[in-house]
Amino acid sequence: MNEAGVLLKLRSVSKSYGATAILHDIDLDVRDGEFITILGPSGSGKTTILRLIGGFTKPSGGEILLDGRDIAAMPINQRPFNTVFQDYALFPHLTVEGNVGYGLAVRGTPRAEIAKRVADALELVQLGPLGKRFPAQLSGGQRQRVALARAIICRPRLILLDEPLAALDVELRRHMQSFLKSIQTEIRTTFLFVTHDQEEAIAMADRICVMNGGRIQQIGSPHEVYYRPSCEFVAKFFGENNLIPGTLGPTDGKTRSIDTAAGRVICAVDGQPDMAAAPEGSPAFAVCRPEAVTIGDDAAGENRFPVSIGQVAFAGASTMATATALDDPGLSLKARMPSRPGGASLRPGDTVTFVVPASTCRLVPA
Amino acid sequence: MSSRVADAGVEAPAAHPSPSRLVPWFAALAAYAVPIWFVLAPMALFLGYSFFSVDKGNIVFTPTVANYVRFFTDPVFLPIFWRTCLLCLAVAVLCVLFAFPVAYFLTTLRGRRRYVLLVLLLVPLLMSYVIKIYAVRSILGGNGMLNRALLATGLIDKPSMLFVFNLNAVLLTLTVLLIPFAVLPIFLSLERIPKALRHASADLGASNAQTFWRVTVPLSLPGTLSAMSFVFVLAIGDFLTPQMVGGQSGFTFGRIIYSQFGTAFNWPFGAALSVILAAVVIIAIRLGGRVESSRGRIQ
Repeated sequence: MNEAGVLLKLRSVSKSYGATAILHDIDLDVRDGEFITILGPSGSGKTTILRLIGGFTKPSGGEILLDGRDIAAMPINQRPFNTVFQDYALFPHLTVEGNVGYGLAVRGTPRAEIAKRVADALELVQLGPLGKRFPAQLSGGQRQRVALARAIICRPRLILLDEPLAALDVELRRHMQSFLKSIQTEIRTTFLFVTHDQEEAIAMADRICVMNGGRIQQIGSPHEVYYRPSCEFVAKFFGENNLIPGTLGPTDGKTRSIDTAAGRVICAVDGQPDMAAAPEGSPAFAVCRPEAVTIGDDAAGENRFPVSIGQVAFAGASTMATATALDDPGLSLKARMPSRPGGASLRPGDTVTFVVPASTCRLVPA
Repeated sequence: MSSRVADAGVEAPAAHPSPSRLVPWFAALAAYAVPIWFVLAPMALFLGYSFFSVDKGNIVFTPTVANYVRFFTDPVFLPIFWRTCLLCLAVAVLCVLFAFPVAYFLTTLRGRRRYVLLVLLLVPLLMSYVIKIYAVRSILGGNGMLNRALLATGLIDKPSMLFVFNLNAVLLTLTVLLIPFAVLPIFLSLERIPKALRHASADLGASNAQTFWRVTVPLSLPGTLSAMSFVFVLAIGDFLTPQMVGGQSGFTFGRIIYSQFGTAFNWPFGAALSVILAAVVIIAIRLGGRVESSRGRIQ
């Protein structure tokens, strides 16, 4: 995407409280109209990024550029952003209408226009008839929608969402995920969404920025961060994965071999110039998802691992087989296969071959 | 220890009530007996006395409503009653006006500074009330610090009698003495307002002043109103302050009641006036608490 499509730029932004550094050297572009998710475990600094953009705290170093201007010193109330807070932060003394219309009221918008736009916003979040209620008379999901309506009514250029679904139960969370996504598509506003929930990030985001220890680990589409992780942390962060340690071998530009205790493994390196250029002999992991593994001698694929099945776990739609490589007893490999009504054909103790095509195998530095 | 006692009770249920069963009874008895004996009984006694009368220094124990009729028909008492209510309302409003900025300032402080200031505000409560009144008297008197300061600056050329032994002096003294009682409830209600709400307000484009008037003040209203009712109740029951700084013109309802039990020696009439005062106090407390509870439901 070109420069014109970038709404907000963070350039080597850092934040520390006293001697404790929370964020190191953050470079992040927020593109116009995208749904970007900042994902990380607690303490990774993801909420601090949101607070810096919102203006609730000041960066210790670096710049936050909006239209090429540094907004680090701009007061909260002048930033063209609105926030959906973690605990919603609805005003308890105001009705739903009062809460939603607050941003317009403080700007001196005429009453008639406020009433009309509040009605529109409540319609959008499907809370039409509840305008006269107080926040305490609403359910968690309804409060969530009020907070969202309150944030979008001022037509901000960016909406910041600070783990807004964390307090909801699983079913409601699923529902709100698709609801938020559809609202975002409808109003075509940029959403910056902070969460610690990998599934939520994958389900909603156009791009995911994975954080750990105050640093950005990887920025990419959900598909990229899931299937093409750039580092060990990201490879391990999204669900089950196979990581096979080894040392890098030669490359032909599209694939690269890695020598492991379980034999030589061929991995794809297209789109990963860093891994293609890394010196031979440096330590790395071959990474492949359990669902990329097929089982059986006659299956097609470059990488073949004779294994002894240790455990077969039924998990509804899929069944996970955990096995030990015969060539390397210290290496545990997982394969996920579709469950069958008749039960799994594998038994613990079976000796089979795990086959992984080179195209589904990736490298990350160790 | 207690489990052993309970075990003993299980082993011999028919013999006699175990000590563990009697303890709650004694606790309940004490819990009810103390307020009944020391609060409810005296008030009931007052209510009873208010229906008696006095004849040549002796109390006549024949029920009559003459005392209440006298209060509502005599041209002396009702005006003083209303004037006292108005005075105490003014004290309550003034106290809240002074206490609010102090309480707000307290919430902006952090850590040790906050507690130092809080303790400084509360220290006067540990001092004798009479001593505090004397202190204020020495400031307000005809030759007091206030007058001397004004004379020294040349703002006035002879001592002002505006605040000397009259109702204004009572108003000022009560306000000064009762401000600490107003600071605490307001401080607590301000303290309870989540920081996220002020952030949300700023996030939605409100200036600091708009946040203050649209979020902070409305949400502190329960505390502010209970502070007002608190101060009002303390002020209206006070007879010592008007006695000491009010002089001849600073006559209040409390002083009338006091004189009924002293110089006038008319206990039944004094009791009737006390019952009326108690009714006003109860209404004030209910008004202060009502807003609190309706707000509480909203939250």
